[in-house]
Order: sequence, then C-alpha cells, then structure tokens
Amino acid sequence: MNSLGFKTLIAREYYRFARLSRQTIAPPIITNLLYIFIFGFSLGSRIREVNGFPYIVFILPGLAAMGIITNAYANTSTSLFMARMDRSIENILASPLSAFQIVTAFVMGGVIRGVIIGWISLLISLFAVNMPLHHLLWAFLIVLLISIIFSSLGIISALWSESWDHIATFTNFFMTPFIYLGGVFYSIQMLPPFWHKVSLANPIFYLVDSLRWATLGHGDVSFVISMSVVAGMACLAFGVCLWLFKMGYKLVL
Amino acid sequence: MGCYKKSKMNALEIQSVKKYYSNLQALAGIDLQIHEGEFFGLLGPNGAGKTTLINSIVGLVKPQSGSIQVFGHDVRTHPVEARQCVGFSPQEVNVDRFFNLRKTLEFQAGFYGYSKTFAKERAQEMLEQFKLTEKAKSPFYKLSGGMQKRLLIARALMSKPKLLILDEPSAGIDVAQRQELWEYLRGLNRDGTTIILTTHYIDEAEALCERVAIINHGRIIEMGKPKALIEKYCEESVEIGLIGPIGPILFENLPGLIIKENSISAKGPKIGKITGEILKRVFQNNNQQVLDIQVKHGSLEEVFIKLTGQPIDQTPPLSSP
Repeated sequence: MNSLGFKTLIAREYYRFARLSRQTIAPPIITNLLYIFIFGFSLGSRIREVNGFPYIVFILPGLAAMGIITNAYANTSTSLFMARMDRSIENILASPLSAFQIVTAFVMGGVIRGVIIGWISLLISLFAVNMPLHHLLWAFLIVLLISIIFSSLGIISALWSESWDHIATFTNFFMTPFIYLGGVFYSIQMLPPFWHKVSLANPIFYLVDSLRWATLGHGDVSFVISMSVVAGMACLAFGVCLWLFKMGYKLVL
Repeated sequence: MGCYKKSKMNALEIQSVKKYYSNLQALAGIDLQIHEGEFFGLLGPNGAGKTTLINSIVGLVKPQSGSIQVFGHDVRTHPVEARQCVGFSPQEVNVDRFFNLRKTLEFQAGFYGYSKTFAKERAQEMLEQFKLTEKAKSPFYKLSGGMQKRLLIARALMSKPKLLILDEPSAGIDVAQRQELWEYLRGLNRDGTTIILTTHYIDEAEALCERVAIINHGRIIEMGKPKALIEKYCEESVEIGLIGPIGPILFENLPGLIIKENSISAKGPKIGKITGEILKRVFQNNNQQVLDIQVKHGSLEEVFIKLTGQPIDQTPPLSSP
C-alpha cells in the first residue's frame, strides 16, 4: 500500500487550490457576507419569519450548503479536466497508485475545499447573526457528505466532458437550477402542493434540509429521510467515480 | 516503498500482446523479453506500435489479449507493484501546468512513496543533472522544447527506477546535450538500470543499445544486436586503388574479388577481414603501392530501410494513438 504516494496526491490537490486562495476561498466567503448584509441588515426586516426563524438565519445553512456544493464540484471538475487536457493525468495513472487511491485523493481535494468553505460560512453565521447550532457532530458529518457528493460529481463531469463548455453546461443547466429550487431561499412548506411534491424529487433539497436540521434544529422533512438520501448519494456518487476510474473511462485506451 | 523484483525474472516479459483500436490493429501479437540490466532499443516507423506497446507497459493502454510482466509483476493483476519499478518519460509533454519544475519533481518522488526529504534532495540532484536549476521556479510551459524534454527525463528518474522507459528522449535536444544525455544513460545502465529506448535517431540506438527490435505494423519483424543485424542484412564493400598494375596470381584462394588494372574490389560480410587479407598480399608484392582504400560499411539505418521499406526520417505522420 503506497500510503505516502496517496498522501502526496492529496497534498497536490490541496496545494493546487490553496495557492490560489483569492480565487478559490475568498469569493464564496465574500458572497456569504454580502447575503448577510443584504438580508440581515437591509431587506431582512421586511421579510417575515420562516418556520419561526428570521429570514437571514433561515437561509444561512442553505447558503453554506450552496458554497460547499459549488466549491467541491469546481475543485475536482477543474483539476481533473485540466489534467485530462494537459495529459498530466497520464503521469498520475502511470504512477504506483491504485484507482481507489487516485479517486479518493481527487475527492479529498474537493472535500477539503468544501469543508473549509462550509465551516467558514457557518462560523460567520454563528457570530454575525447568532445562528443556532443544535447538532454539531451531525453538522460535521453532513458538511463532509455534501462535499463528497459534489467532489465525486465533479470527477464524473470532468471525465464525461470534452470541453470547458461541457463543464459549464453541467453547472449552468443542472446544478444551479437544482440548487436554487432546492429550498435554499424558502421552505418547501410555503409552496403549492404540486411544487411541494416536485421539490421532494430534487436531491439537493435533502442536502439543504439536513444541514438546516443540524444547525437550526428544524427541517421540512424527517432528518432520518434527509440523512439517508445524503448518505446514499455520497456512496452512489463515489462508487460511480471509482467504477469509471477502474474501467479507465476516457483515461485508458 | 521500492521496486520489489521477483527473483530470476526478466525486467520485462511480454507474451502475445494484441491491441486493436476499432478496426486498426496496433499490436499484432508482440512477444518480447528484456533482461535485467539490458539497454534495449525499439525502432519502427511512426504508427508502427512502439508507443502503444510502451503505454501498455505503464497501464495507459489496455491490450485485448496477452500478458505483460515487469520484474515478475503482471501489469493487469498487480499494476501498482509493476509501476513501482518503472520510470517513464513519454513522447509528448504531460506535465501539470499548476506547479513549477521543483514542485513537479518533488511530487513525482512522493507519488512513488518517497519521503519529502528524499524528494527535495533528489529534485535538486535532477535539476542540476539536467541543467534546469535556473528554471526551478518556472512552470514547464515557459521552458524551451529541449528543456521540457529534459524535464520529462528528470521526472522519470525521480523514483530511481529499475526499468527506465524513454520514448523519443532526444527529440528537440541539441547535439551537445544529446551527448551528455547518452553518457548519463550509459552510466545509469552500468549501475544496473534496465533501459528501453524508442528513438528516431538510428545512430542513437546503434550507439547505446545492446539489442534492438524493429517493429512494423504492430509486429516485431527483427530483433538482435545492432552489429549482428548489420552483418546479416548489409553488404559491405571495399575498393583498393593501386599505383601501377598488379597480377591476379597474388589473389588466388580469395574468391569474389573484382581485379582491374589499378584496383581491387570486394563485397560481402566481414569486409574488414577481406580487406586485411588483400592488403597483406599487396604488400607482399614489394614494388606495389596503395593509392587509396574506400570501405563502405553497413548501418542500422540500412537494416531499418531494408526491413520496413522506408527511411526512418521520412515516415508518414502518426496514424494511430
């Protein structure tokens, strides 16, 4: 077991985004601060409470989830797609690392970035607007699982894509609509029955709802259901990545 | 974590390897054994299957049938153990754009399980060896073509591999640096590294390799020591010009000579031995003086042309991956 090789690949993935922190870490933090300013101190007083919470407090767990999703996805999709384009992935594939180690290391890169963004967002929320944090350990686990899901989806997207346009297509036409319709800015209890049911078919809703439960102590659906969906998605997405790497999809001729 | 060699195993053992790209047969049943410590050359026109074969060894190509073993480790069933023994410098640049040269080299040692301390020392050693120290903080895309090629070789050597595979290592490198590279590779080979080389420079293969295989249309069409192949396929000749006429009587028992009034010529293998015999008899004739001697030796290039039907530097462009 080449554990040092595995650690080196994780370090490479971390180093890749850490040295560009102004592009990778700062923007989502600034975005969250702007949301807090706009909905907390400016418009917030004009919007009624949602599920018993001030509007800004209600949306903050969703905003943290959104930051985790976009950053975990961006990290792996960019890193692997670039590596495919400049063929540096061939050097990694020719190294004494197993498919499991390579996939896990790439996912870990996205997870580290997602967890950093997620927890900075949550900590800002805790201190800026006194957002409650009811279930700390569950919050840790959910942040981790959301990061794993979207790091894995980033890998799948990077393998499937043949151009940057494909990567953007996945982001713009699938991820963004699902995120915005996933209950980040509203409770699905507020929706008409038909759209309520449609929202329940949106997997991102369960990610947002589970993190909201872990922080605010209140979710739109049972925590068991949302947690099961999150854990199931993480296993499925990672499993698909591993399977694609093992069969050398678009990597090995 | 180093390369574990199974005892009494060849450095490379390839059996009946076949690879198709849809309808194109890239490898048509390759059998090849390379002994530990050998310096081996793979020659062939573009699209002959050299790179496909090399990529099969390092796991970038999956052959449909056959087996490949590196120091006894099957690349399909034990890929990690097999790749641990191999350092690979590809034909085309495949370096990460994000990192500078030093970091690229350090990461490479890390991928092979070496500590940070070793990686730093080895990276410095390789940067100095390949005259890249001044560019250590630059990304690879700011290097010249020759420097990029040297970086690829340096990277392949970071893990001190037992089997070094170099796909066109001299392409883009100037003559002086090529000579230095040759010396360095000879040294590595003397120290026990098995080296496989593909090259478009036939003189390079002739100068460095103990054995060469010539590949065409996915098959090994000939294999052996360069000198033996030259003797087998090339007709050497000698023409000795004389001052004054010489009598044929002197050359009895030396068949095949063409004796003219002022010259003697001969063709065939082992021309050096025949030349010596002719000169011995000429000098036995006291008044005889030699005007000039023109010897035409065979070359590996001539062997290549005879076997593939095309000169190596005028081969068609790449037609297969």
